[in-house]
Amino acid sequence: MLKRWILDFAYYLDTSKSYQKRKRFFYNILENEKNKYKKYIDLFMVFLIFISVAVLIREVKHHINDYLLFFSNYVISFIFFVEYILRLWVSSSVSKIIVNRAEHDSFLHRDVNLYKAFKEVLHVKLLYMLKPKVIIDFFAILPFFHELRLLRIFILFRVFKLFRYAKSFQTLSSVLATKKFEFLTLGIFASVVIFVSSVLIYVMEGNNPNSPINTFYEAIYWAIVTISTVGYGDIIPVSHEGRFVAMLVIMAGIAVLAFTTSLFVSAFTEKLDEIKEVKTIEDVSKLKKFYLICGYEQVAREVARKLSNNGNRVIVIDENTERIALAKKDGYSALNYNPGRVDSYEKLNIDMEKQVKAILCLREDDIENVYTALTIRSFNKNVFILSLLINNSNRKKLNFAGINSIVYPQELVGLITKELVGKPVAFEVIHELRSETADVKIDELGITQRIAENFATVSELGNKDFRVVLLGIYKHKTDHFLFNPLDSTLLEVGDYLLVIGYEVFILEFEKYLHTKVNNG
Amino acid sequence: MAKSTALIFGYNKYSHEIIANVKDKYESIRIFSLLEEDIQNSSIDIELFDLSDEWTEIHKNVDLGSSMAFCVLESTAENIFLTISLRANFKDLTIIAIASNEESANKLKMAGATKVIPLVETTSDIITNMLEKPISNKVLHSILYEESALKIAQIKISKESHFNDEQLTSIDWTRYNGIIVLSVMHEDKKSEFIYSSKAKRHIIKEGDILVIVGYEEDIKEFENKIGSKRYVNWSNWSW
Repeated sequence: MLKRWILDFAYYLDTSKSYQKRKRFFYNILENEKNKYKKYIDLFMVFLIFISVAVLIREVKHHINDYLLFFSNYVISFIFFVEYILRLWVSSSVSKIIVNRAEHDSFLHRDVNLYKAFKEVLHVKLLYMLKPKVIIDFFAILPFFHELRLLRIFILFRVFKLFRYAKSFQTLSSVLATKKFEFLTLGIFASVVIFVSSVLIYVMEGNNPNSPINTFYEAIYWAIVTISTVGYGDIIPVSHEGRFVAMLVIMAGIAVLAFTTSLFVSAFTEKLDEIKEVKTIEDVSKLKKFYLICGYEQVAREVARKLSNNGNRVIVIDENTERIALAKKDGYSALNYNPGRVDSYEKLNIDMEKQVKAILCLREDDIENVYTALTIRSFNKNVFILSLLINNSNRKKLNFAGINSIVYPQELVGLITKELVGKPVAFEVIHELRSETADVKIDELGITQRIAENFATVSELGNKDFRVVLLGIYKHKTDHFLFNPLDSTLLEVGDYLLVIGYEVFILEFEKYLHTKVNNG
Repeated sequence: MAKSTALIFGYNKYSHEIIANVKDKYESIRIFSLLEEDIQNSSIDIELFDLSDEWTEIHKNVDLGSSMAFCVLESTAENIFLTISLRANFKDLTIIAIASNEESANKLKMAGATKVIPLVETTSDIITNMLEKPISNKVLHSILYEESALKIAQIKISKESHFNDEQLTSIDWTRYNGIIVLSVMHEDKKSEFIYSSKAKRHIIKEGDILVIVGYEEDIKEFENKIGSKRYVNWSNWSW
């Protein structure tokens, strides 16, 4: 009967949407690095940790307000306890284990063995509870029993909890973990040296009435202080034999120190690129809007420079290490990922639609650009893709790959020469308007709700007072460009004014459009 | 017709585009290649040339004053050498050269090219404008390159023009509905934006060139009203 009830309940939990939704919610805010609310929970926990430690330090020599003490001992402990239980809950699914066992047994036409299921649950949960981080969490709750004076020192475990929230600690431990074997060897070597030298110094100096080394504990203390090259000087060998041991320990100490330093350095050097990559991905995932450039060759380099001069963020991915090194040297966030692989974009951890303004396939190779575009289109249909076209016979393929906009440099050369031949001055005027170095610029000013309310028609704009030429209005509603509009033309929200003038005057004109709104 | 002969040096994807775009504007187009295989494989007439050529044949048969040379060799070094060789032989020839980047563009200018098209720069300008200023890019692109009704034209002020000796800013351009005057280029070959302080004080003289934007019929009307004609001339101008 009980068995039936447990099974039914496990099935109910496993299929209940609201239960799974709640569990997922807690999982996200506690464990999911990608969740935007997790950092607030982490900050709150770090804040509580600092309160606890501050109380512990203050308590050494001063009286602590009873309320604060209550808060530190009970409230914070309770919050940590709740956190511990929640983490334990979301770490694995008990109902799933029971359901799987039931399915397994019934498939084999056996009686459901709940004992085995519970054993597995216990095993999984214990495995989780024995993780170093979780053990620290557990000890951090213990100050709840603060009446036991010894347990108060467990408040310090709350400081260790910081490891959980500070990513740099995690990076450090992951880097050092790669040199586990070397550190173990070093540890064994140092332990043997400490043990042997402690025994030696104790044997040599223990019975000498002038020697400060009277116990084996003092001998170990001396050996550690000496081997670490700290050498407080509070305990020193006085006999010749003792000093001889000291010389050996000092030499061994230098070796240990050098070995330790080189281990740290080599571990970090080997992992440096990886650490930087993780940092870049983190930074990229936090960006609000950016251009993603796939392939960093000549045109890409120039486009990146121009876009970033306009105040845009540019992210570069390329499978070639030299090109990525160049992009990094040029000051961009660059990742050595293959643009033709879906996992490159998954690793980036970005929301294509919200964060990416446009993807620019700028390899000077049509095959690579088509491959990249198809890769992107395989998981996102909407993001804007622009691509270079090198060989006109591949135009159809680029269109078929879902590229929104194609730039064909050879065609540009043809068009430019045509205009250059026919209207050299006019061409140069327009060309200069588009160039980033010219003083006179063409710009687009969007009509906002406020501007539309204050400037009903073109005649009210007063652009001539700002020495700005109004070339025309792009009408959003009709998707039509009105060249040289009549004074009576209505301005509507979403329209764009196309203006030509000196950059400073355009800025002033734009400011005026907004300021008048503020005044009015 | 402004120029009678187009001399295209190099037979490649760039020369194909140039031929397609300028064939209506020249009486004759002559294509030169460094490679003999181009001559054998191509269906159109291609002449062989050598970088050490003294160009005596061109000297004799081509009216260099009304010709234009396009240097579109794929190798930057060869293109620069070709440009310098042409300039050394033909002082007044208009030379348009293609450069892969800004550095080679500077070298081509030093070698004597009249106008250099820096490919990377131009392509990246177009891409940046497409992304950052899509509307203006579309409008300017259609004015410049496409068969749109909206045109850009350069009008030379003639002796008979009634604008002569008038101050640029004193003219009420609104009388000429439909067109917008963007800039004026005067004797010093500098094109000045219509609202620049220099242009403001400028007194219109015979020979000045106005750059205007408008619909074809409005431009024609403007030409009739001011008594000047559209004008094309190749000279060393700059903005």
